[in-house]
Amino acid sequence: MIKFASLLLIVIGLYGILSTRNVIKILVGINVMEIGINIFIIAIGFVNGGAAPILSVDNPGSLLKFVDPVAQALVLTSIVIGLGVTALGLVFARKIHKKHGTYDLSEIGGES
Amino acid sequence: MMFNPVLLIAIPLGLAFIAVIFKKIQKWILALGIIVNAVLVFFVEKGETAIGGFKIPFGISLVLDDFSAAGVILINILALAAIVIAFKKAEKFAPVILAGLAGMNGMILTGDLFNLFVFMEITAISAYILSSEGRKPAQSFNYLVIGSVGSVFYLLGLILLYNQTGTLNMVLMTEKTGFLEQTVLLLPVLLIFVGIAVEAKLLPMAGWVRGVLGNSNSYTGVMFASVYSSAALFVFGRIFSQVLVPGTTVGIVIITIALVTFAAGQASAFRSKSLRQVLLYSSIAQSGLAAALFATGFVFPAVLVVVNNAIGKLIMFSAAGSLEEKYGTDDYIGLGGAFNKNTLTGIAFTIAALSLTGLPLLFGFYAKLNVLAAYLNQGTFFVPAVVLLGTIVEGAYFIKILIKLWAPGKEGEWADADQSVGDKRIFSYTGTIAVILAAVLVVLSGLLPDTAGKLIAPEGGLLGDDGPAISLLIQKGGDQ
Amino acid sequence: MNLNLIIIITTAVALVAYLVSKVNDKAGAAMTVVGSLFALIAVFLLRDSIGTEITLLYFNFNLTVTGWYFALVMLMAYSMTAFFNPFWMKKLIYPAGYNFLYLLSMAGTLGVFFAKDFITLFVFWETVVWSSAFIIQMGKSRQAAYVYYVISAIGSMATLFAIMFAYGTTGTFVINDAFGGLAAYPGRAIVIFVTFIAAGMAKIGIFPFHVWLPFAHGSAPHTFSPVLSGGLVKMGAFVALLSVTAFPAYKIFGGMASFRGIPLPIYFMMALGAISIVVGTLMAIKQEDAKKLLAYSSVANGGYILIGLLMLDQVGFAGGLMHIVNHAVASAAAFLSIAAVAYRTGTTKMSEMGGMIHRMPITYVVYLIAIISMAGIPPMGGFVSKWLIFQGLADKGLLFIAATAFFGSIGSFLYVFRPLSAVFLGQTFTRDLNKKEVGVFMLFPMVVLTLLSLLTGIFPNIFLRVVTEIQTSLGVLPVTLAENTIVTNNGFLDAFKVFIVFGFGFAIAFVLFIARRKSRRVELMDTYTSAEFIHTRELLHYSHSFYAPFERLYEKAPDTMKLYHKAAVKISEIGNFAEAIFFGIKPARTVLLVMGTVLIGIIAGGVLS
Repeated sequence: MIKFASLLLIVIGLYGILSTRNVIKILVGINVMEIGINIFIIAIGFVNGGAAPILSVDNPGSLLKFVDPVAQALVLTSIVIGLGVTALGLVFARKIHKKHGTYDLSEIGGES
Repeated sequence: MMFNPVLLIAIPLGLAFIAVIFKKIQKWILALGIIVNAVLVFFVEKGETAIGGFKIPFGISLVLDDFSAAGVILINILALAAIVIAFKKAEKFAPVILAGLAGMNGMILTGDLFNLFVFMEITAISAYILSSEGRKPAQSFNYLVIGSVGSVFYLLGLILLYNQTGTLNMVLMTEKTGFLEQTVLLLPVLLIFVGIAVEAKLLPMAGWVRGVLGNSNSYTGVMFASVYSSAALFVFGRIFSQVLVPGTTVGIVIITIALVTFAAGQASAFRSKSLRQVLLYSSIAQSGLAAALFATGFVFPAVLVVVNNAIGKLIMFSAAGSLEEKYGTDDYIGLGGAFNKNTLTGIAFTIAALSLTGLPLLFGFYAKLNVLAAYLNQGTFFVPAVVLLGTIVEGAYFIKILIKLWAPGKEGEWADADQSVGDKRIFSYTGTIAVILAAVLVVLSGLLPDTAGKLIAPEGGLLGDDGPAISLLIQKGGDQ
Repeated sequence: MNLNLIIIITTAVALVAYLVSKVNDKAGAAMTVVGSLFALIAVFLLRDSIGTEITLLYFNFNLTVTGWYFALVMLMAYSMTAFFNPFWMKKLIYPAGYNFLYLLSMAGTLGVFFAKDFITLFVFWETVVWSSAFIIQMGKSRQAAYVYYVISAIGSMATLFAIMFAYGTTGTFVINDAFGGLAAYPGRAIVIFVTFIAAGMAKIGIFPFHVWLPFAHGSAPHTFSPVLSGGLVKMGAFVALLSVTAFPAYKIFGGMASFRGIPLPIYFMMALGAISIVVGTLMAIKQEDAKKLLAYSSVANGGYILIGLLMLDQVGFAGGLMHIVNHAVASAAAFLSIAAVAYRTGTTKMSEMGGMIHRMPITYVVYLIAIISMAGIPPMGGFVSKWLIFQGLADKGLLFIAATAFFGSIGSFLYVFRPLSAVFLGQTFTRDLNKKEVGVFMLFPMVVLTLLSLLTGIFPNIFLRVVTEIQTSLGVLPVTLAENTIVTNNGFLDAFKVFIVFGFGFAIAFVLFIARRKSRRVELMDTYTSAEFIHTRELLHYSHSFYAPFERLYEKAPDTMKLYHKAAVKISEIGNFAEAIFFGIKPARTVLLVMGTVLIGIIAGGVLS
């Protein structure tokens, strides 16, 4: 279920990118997509009834069911990257505003 | 003394952080990092190196085979050449360039598909930042959005594959996808293809290229057209010639896209009037050709195409960017006779253009022969015909540019040096030497093609292909 | 001295000439004379080593008598023209580059003629193409170099396709083996034949590739036009020759539908040659520029050569081979004499010159003899070779082609005499009254070529003996030669007797001319029309709209150049379309396209599997 919800998030994000000309809103769309894909990754690694993949006193051995640790590691990295890209995107957004006085891409069509 | 290949990633990445801290000396750090890498790349250990104490295939590994060796050598040498040509333009981006170099080396070396994603993103972010040098933030933003969407697609495809196979390691992935149905693989492979194609400049994913490369300067143009795009193409080759060899159905889709890219690129370059635009469209066309070759499994010819394009575009884009800086335009109609007082640069530019067209005595000819022979040995005649038609168009627009830049003068009168646009020097002395060395390399490898082929593929083949589709030396004495 | 050394030394001399030219361009140009004369003599001396093979880098050479013959023709054009080089250095934008490329392209032609395998052939071929393109751009038109290169590229890429196709079929690049092995694949052989001969046709200037000749020959530096027309065009003839000899076209197509014993694919090429004769002749008649006129005459003569070579028989083939020499000599001489006139007057437009016979009598004689040979009038060489081609055509009963060939011969009377009358005869322009004959250094090559024209016409058997050797080496029945007589099925030709007759006629006419040399000189403007004075010189000029009524008959004829323009426009449109669709500033469109790609990929994948 979560898988499909996350795929829906990706689609919503794509729709956001396609439907707006506003730079900030496009960035929001990208972020929604990224959240969607991150949840999707977690959902893929999820094992019903599984514990956190950490060896400890409570979870001493390999007998217990773990959720997939790889997926969680991937998501951590992916979040960080998403953050960096968003930050950079915001910088470009500021630059666009500074140069053209607007966040709307359809108003600055002349730049080539 | 052989070194661990991880140094190729660690050194520039570490220096990138140092350069952020010591802003005052960052240009020396940049020079140091690039030079060290360019030297080190010849002394790294071949084979598979595990990273982080995990056994292969559980952890991340770096794979240095002949293919990735060719890739990293090309990338690091080109990066060195790029800063030699335009150090002034590069120095303020020191951390970005170093991080980007680390990312590219990682992309080519890594044996892990998710790790590849991470390195691709590092590279992409450094590319976004470099593109801002064009002072067209909307274009950079366009690039960033397309790149982000591409990487989300890549990640989605990768996760779908992971779900099916339970591994991210390339070697294991190859093994396990072998058991899967073509129809199951269709969507993930297409998603991954689209993700990589954004950086590899295949149409329609390359919508950012005109805005970014069309506003590049003598440094960023080289970085985008020869360094980044070569790295992306090497990744493309790794994925689609080895890890996820496309089956017939996906193969047809990918090859069609690649060939359309080739044709559309050549046609667009033919109609363009601005030097950088011609070059960027020609880059797109060459990427299309290389991608088609990779997707068919002709790795060695594809690598020749990539190398030839990278060296050619190094010379041409730096000259185009420099001309734009000197004269305020890169419309080649308005640059008549720009080579008149820049004979050496002009000769290097001419050699690069002729080599890209695949004219004999130059490296490009060897590449072109290999491309044609690979297909014809296989019994395919359609693709060689397309390639040769494209070559006619390519030759047409390059010769138009060369004639314009060499011989100014009105129609009906003799070419006249007094009609030249000016006599400004295109490159500094070091820059001239760098492009001349690159041109000499093109000529030498063209005269001794089999030696050059041996250097690129010492074992005779890359990623398990047949290697040179054609050997010129075998013909010696007329024996087959 | 072997071929490797010749090629290496000429290339080395080219480099030295480049460096020397940087210091003193005339000295550099003198080196082109030395280099080309050296190559001419050295290749001539290679006669003893015919039949040997030699390897240089990855190039394999095979010294055949055919190659030797072609190479001598080529080097003759190069070395004779080289004598003009020193006098034109001031006009050139890159004198050093010119001298270098001049010798480099010459070395390239050697590789073409002696190539044993296709790689060698193609490598040297393309080297010649680009090096000559860079020479042409220094002349009067940038467009010319562009058109030249593109048309050549169309031809060479087709040829490369043929080469690779043959390689893919037979697994070898060695010319004879690769083509010899095609007999088992007649279907592929047609494709290979048509595409292989394309480069040759483009170079000879066969319709529809002829458009580059008027551009390039007409606008190249005056010192390079003779090489282009007299020499480089013959490279195309060599490829045409290969496509019927090395490529056993008659054997492979033997089983196919044929027309009077000529298989249709070959007949088709011959028909194109015939069209070239007509087109070249008609267009030459129209030209106002002497060099353009000669360029179109090269188109027509290329047609003769192609037809002759493609017949591959006893007589016509010999005619084709012989015409290669004759046209090379005549057209080099004609272009050189026009260059000499241009050297003095600074123009090649016919309506801007006149009466140069009084100022430059020797140049006049050179041009006269060259055009007599070109038009195929005895006692010059052109007559002998055209006679042989006619004999061959008549033997086979190829009426259509023979008709065009006759048309071309008669048409050539119309056009070759125009520059003669316009440039050399008539009234001398006041501007040119103080002009002198060119110096000895420039006269020398012109006189040599003129003597050669006479020699080929009076003693054609000297050359035909080599031709018979070529025929024998190719397994063709050689043309029958008796003591100074050529014997064919329909008759025989004793060129020396023809010369005696003509010489006698000339002597009588000359005596009459001397005896009655009492004409009164009038100034051109010393006239009036209906009591009105005319002030526009051009209107009174000999050649102004000379054949206007005749030209009106075909002024609406389609221009082949338009075809190429249309193709270029189409490509640009595709480019515009791609650009409009794929590249924009808004990311939404690209994202949409990316999604569309995935979607189409999935649908296509589903359909295909």
